[in-house]
Amino acid sequence: MQYWINHNGVQSGPVDAEGIKELGLTSRAYVWSQGMSDWVRITQVPELEGLYEVVDEPVTTGQPLQPQNITQVQQPTSTQPVNAQPLNEQPNEAPEPCPPTNLVWAIISTLLCCLPTGIVAIIYSLKVTNKYREGDIEGAKRASEIGAWWCIITIILGILSMPLISLMQLSVMP
Amino acid sequence: MRRSLVITVVIVLLLVFGFIYYAIDPATSTVFPRCTFLTLTGYKCPGCGSQRAIHALLNGDIKGALGYNAMLIVAIPWIALCLFAEGQRTRRPRLYERLNAPLLIWLFLVAVLAWWVLRNIFNW
Repeated sequence: MQYWINHNGVQSGPVDAEGIKELGLTSRAYVWSQGMSDWVRITQVPELEGLYEVVDEPVTTGQPLQPQNITQVQQPTSTQPVNAQPLNEQPNEAPEPCPPTNLVWAIISTLLCCLPTGIVAIIYSLKVTNKYREGDIEGAKRASEIGAWWCIITIILGILSMPLISLMQLSVMP
Repeated sequence: MRRSLVITVVIVLLLVFGFIYYAIDPATSTVFPRCTFLTLTGYKCPGCGSQRAIHALLNGDIKGALGYNAMLIVAIPWIALCLFAEGQRTRRPRLYERLNAPLLIWLFLVAVLAWWVLRNIFNW
């Protein structure tokens, strides 16, 4: 994997993980490689862990160059990030974690509550991850809420209906 | 504070239900609830046999447990891992995202539906 580096405003790369070690970077550096939609802090790339010095002061000068500067520095342009702008606006923003998919509860309610409505909850957890991966955080949150309600409905109906059904059966059988 | 309370309640419930299901055999006792879906439709649901399977498993009878509800027994390690990831969702978002990958959920969905159909055909 080849990485482009931006450390304190100075751009370098492409280098591989071994080359990153030799650059003597700090945790303030930004990296980009093919497949990433934008520059990320080097601390967010698990493959590069331990290859840089960890410093905890806030980023002041470490912002990457404007996209046009980047293309001036090197070729090929096709492998450059499409847009490095958002980083300049909010350099310290952490990516939002995926909203709850409720998958475990969907599985548990399907396998323990004896009601097919658990399947609906599984479909909603699928919806949550798909929307989250598309970048539709709002849609993911909505699907997450609906899915949670399906889990709750399944579990409550399961707990209520099973003893009721058993009682009815007992009263019919003897 | 709230977190540790939830964990304590879950562990206590697990222990209480674990003991009940260890001590009493749902196959012969009438105090255990019957499956709603099976009673209403006559067809087994994906969760049928779970109580007997848990009883068998708690008594060390893995083969018997697999006979009652193989899917539940196979899914237990996965459920445990998912529960752990659920508790660590904001601390380890990467683990959570990996376990909730669309491919894995699809696989589970297909497995449950296949299990549902096949167990009714072959009387598993």
